Amino acid sequence: MEGIHRQLLEGEQWVGDSTGPFFGFMGAAAALVFACFGAAYGTAKSGVGISSMGVLRPELVMKSIVPVVMAGVLGIYGLIVAVIISTGINQTADKPYYLFDGYAHLAAGLACGLAGLAAGMAIGIVGDAGVRANAQQPKLFVGMILILIFAEALALYGLIVGIILAGKAGSAKPGTG
Amino acid sequence: MYGFEALWFNIKDGYLDGVVRGHRSGLLTTADYNNLCQCETLDDIKLNLTGTDYGPYLANEPSPLHTTTIVDRCTEKLVDDWNKMRANADEPLGEFMDYCTYGHMIDNVVLIVTGTLHERDVHELLEKCNPLGMFDSIATLAVASSMRELYRLVLVDTPLAPYFSESLSAEDLDEMNIEIMRNTLYKAYLDDFAAFCRRLGGATAEVMGGLLSFEADRRALNITLNSIGTELTRDDRRKLYSNFGLLYPHGHHELAAAEDFDQIRSAMEKCPPYQAIFTKLGFGESQMLDKVLFEEEVRRLCDTFEQQFHYSVFFAYMRLREQEIRNIMWIAECVAQDQKIRINDGIVYLF
Repeated sequence: MEGIHRQLLEGEQWVGDSTGPFFGFMGAAAALVFACFGAAYGTAKSGVGISSMGVLRPELVMKSIVPVVMAGVLGIYGLIVAVIISTGINQTADKPYYLFDGYAHLAAGLACGLAGLAAGMAIGIVGDAGVRANAQQPKLFVGMILILIFAEALALYGLIVGIILAGKAGSAKPGTG
Repeated sequence: MYGFEALWFNIKDGYLDGVVRGHRSGLLTTADYNNLCQCETLDDIKLNLTGTDYGPYLANEPSPLHTTTIVDRCTEKLVDDWNKMRANADEPLGEFMDYCTYGHMIDNVVLIVTGTLHERDVHELLEKCNPLGMFDSIATLAVASSMRELYRLVLVDTPLAPYFSESLSAEDLDEMNIEIMRNTLYKAYLDDFAAFCRRLGGATAEVMGGLLSFEADRRALNITLNSIGTELTRDDRRKLYSNFGLLYPHGHHELAAAEDFDQIRSAMEKCPPYQAIFTKLGFGESQMLDKVLFEEEVRRLCDTFEQQFHYSVFFAYMRLREQEIRNIMWIAECVAQDQKIRINDGIVYLF
């Protein structure tokens, strides 16, 4: 009996923190999921606008695909950060994964994901109104593109900060007590 | 209290808000009206209007022009703008815009029924109908001979169905009953519209509430004025007043009992906003009342554009355009009949 208990007690001996990977993986999931929420909203809202305006001005549809493309890019940002995070999660003897790393990855994922969500909402609303207005007044195209670029920049900031934060993982040096 | 519409209004309705404000900036100003008043012929009027928003609609009209042609083309512009906005509208803006047109539907129904009573041809009547208030089965209205038939055969499938209450009479449609029917339907419509706006809440409820109250009180005033000396009893008159507005319910007591213009005046003057209107009229003058009421309505409609993130701008745009078309019609008629002295009597300046 005692032997079995000792085996159970000595079974799981991680070098790093055992709850660390929870935060890390949550960060990876958050990055992708929220960025995809944003991309989906942007695509859907602009798509409705394009469909409405494409009935009477079908020649403008291809030009008006720009908001949809910009919304799609947000998903790619989320993908990048999620991949960076997930390649950084290791729990081995020579590469322990501390809570420090878990927190860093969580922060990176949330930063990128929620920034992508915000940018996606902005791109959706502006894209919808912009393509409808562009159909009636072609001179508005450049203005619409500029506004979309500024909205996209928000997600880019999230990507940059996400990469910086994810780079902090692995730099924890545990003391000797 | 409201104040947070800025956060979500533009998500669905931002584009159409921009469109309607663009249309509003194309309404004719005092300077345009001055130019129009100096026209000698209808062709001059057409030339002046070609430089405004009406340009594309009037440009290809051949001479000789009639006043009805000018008015028809201008109405066509309003209908086109309205339909484009309605096609792009999301909910609940779409429902709101439909509510704005039910009043015209009621007017069209009454027009066709009255015309049929006077043995006019249905097609002739259909051309005179307001295009904003058309519905599919409108031509079959000529068949009905009593209010109950009217409801059962035609109107039960239209949006006007809920406005027919159980107090439908089986009497034949004659002049008096048609007017009562019109006012009963309009009362039910106004009550319904006001309730809908209140449900929308926020700035829309506040601004539309003010506009519809004024409309309800104005109709109460007109009903009272028109029914002095007829056989409409006080209770019947009371039943035609709407269930909201500044005059509800105390002002309605007094209005229902009024028997001449001065009694009406003293009943309305107990309400401070309407007292301001009545001081503009001299004592005993009732001819200018219509124009003063129009001016007050226009003032309130223009004020709605000062606020943002609400639907009343659509209602206001429709009403202001209609007022502008009435102005153009007056000017065209004065010019055509060579009565330019009276031209300023009939124009209600928008801004």
